[in-house]
Amino acid sequence: MTLINKDSKLSEIIIHDPSTITVLDRFGIALGVGDARISDACQEHDIDVNFFTTILNTYINESYFPQAALLAFSTSKIIDYLEKTYEYYERNVIPNIERHFAFLISKTPSKNSNLVLMRQFFDEVKTELLQRIDDDRNNWFPGIALNEMKAIGKMPNPVKDCEDFNDPIEEKIDDLINMLVMHLKGDYDHNLGYAVVTAIFSLKKDIKQNNRIRNRILTPISQALSNK
Amino acid sequence: MSDFKVIILTFDTLRAIGLRSIFDTTFGVSAFIADEHYFGSFSTTKEPHLFFVDLDILVANLGFFLPRKSKTVLLTEDRTSNDDFPTLCINDSESDIINTISTFLTGGHEEEQITTNTLSQREIEVLRLIASGRINKEIAQELNISINTVLSHRKNITAKLGIKSISGLTFYAMMNGII
Repeated sequence: MTLINKDSKLSEIIIHDPSTITVLDRFGIALGVGDARISDACQEHDIDVNFFTTILNTYINESYFPQAALLAFSTSKIIDYLEKTYEYYERNVIPNIERHFAFLISKTPSKNSNLVLMRQFFDEVKTELLQRIDDDRNNWFPGIALNEMKAIGKMPNPVKDCEDFNDPIEEKIDDLINMLVMHLKGDYDHNLGYAVVTAIFSLKKDIKQNNRIRNRILTPISQALSNK
Repeated sequence: MSDFKVIILTFDTLRAIGLRSIFDTTFGVSAFIADEHYFGSFSTTKEPHLFFVDLDILVANLGFFLPRKSKTVLLTEDRTSNDDFPTLCINDSESDIINTISTFLTGGHEEEQITTNTLSQREIEVLRLIASGRINKEIAQELNISINTVLSHRKNITAKLGIKSISGLTFYAMMNGII
C-alpha cells in the first residue's frame, strides 16, 4: 500500500489490511469508523497525527522504517505505545492462541502427542514473552523515564547505529509456525488447526513490528541517556 | 529460494532496480545491485548463484566471467544471441522477462539444493545431541568430527526442518522419538 497520510480514510486502511484494527485499538479507535479521515479521528481522540501516521505506516509497510522521524518523537509517546502493545498481547493475543490451542486439542479425536508438545513449546515462548514484558514495564521503561527527567533540556543524540539482532522470541515463534505448517501429523480438526496457525501468525507480525520500534528506536535513546 | 543469491551488475540504475524488483516480488529471491568495486571485494566463500551483467562490464571482466559461464546472463537491448553467454533482453515484455529468468533459476542449479527433507542418520545423531543440551564443541568431540562439520550439519537440519532454536529442535526431537 502507498504511504498513508493525515487525509487517508480509516476505513480504507482497515479494508486494505485488517490487522491494523489492533493498532487503531491501541490508540482508542474502534470499529465503526464511518468515513473519517485520520486527521478527524486524531482530533477526536486527542492523538498526535504525525506519530499516528508514522506508526501505522511502519506497521503496514514492512520495508518502511523512518528511523529519524521516530527518534524525534518524545520518549514517553513511544513507551506509551509499547505499553499498549504489551497490554494487547496479554489481554488478547496470548489468550486467543491459548483458546484456539485448547479447543484444537480438546476436539482432536485421538490423542495427538505432537499437538500437545507444540502447545508446550508455545507455553515456553509465552513465558519468555511475558518475562520480557514484565522486565520492560517494571525496570527498563521507568529507568528510561528517570534518566530522561535528569537529562531535561539537554537530551543527548540517540546512537543510531543499533542493528537489528536476531530476537530469540521471534525465532521461536517462527519455529512454532514451521512446526505446525511442516510437521503436524495425525488426526486433528483442520479448521481449528488453521485457527491456531492464523493466531500465531498475527502475533508474529505484531512482534516483528514491535521489535523494530523497541530495538531501533527505544534502545538507542536508552543507550544515549545512560551514556551521559 | 531464500538462500539463492543473485548479483546484478549494470550502470543503469533503473534497469537494476527493475530486475531486483522482479526477483523479489515474483521469485522471492534476494538480488543485490553491485558496481565496479564488486570485483575488488569479491570473495569465493560467498559465491553467488547467478550474475546478470551488462556487456561493458562483462567485457571488462572477462577473466572473471568466463569461468562462471554457466551462471552468467548477459543483459542485452535486443534479441541477439551470444555464443558464450545466455542473454536476457531487457526490452522484452514483463511476462517474457519473467519466463526467461525462470528458466535460469530452475536450470543447472539443482545440485546446490537439498534434494530430500528427511534427516540423514548423521543429522539425527547431531540433533539428538543438540536436544540433550550439548554445545557444538561437545558434539564435535563425541562424534569425532570437526566443529565446521557440526555447523554444516546444524545448517542442514535447520534448512530441512525449518526449526532454528535449540528448544524448537528439542521439541521436534521429542515429537519424533529421537530423544
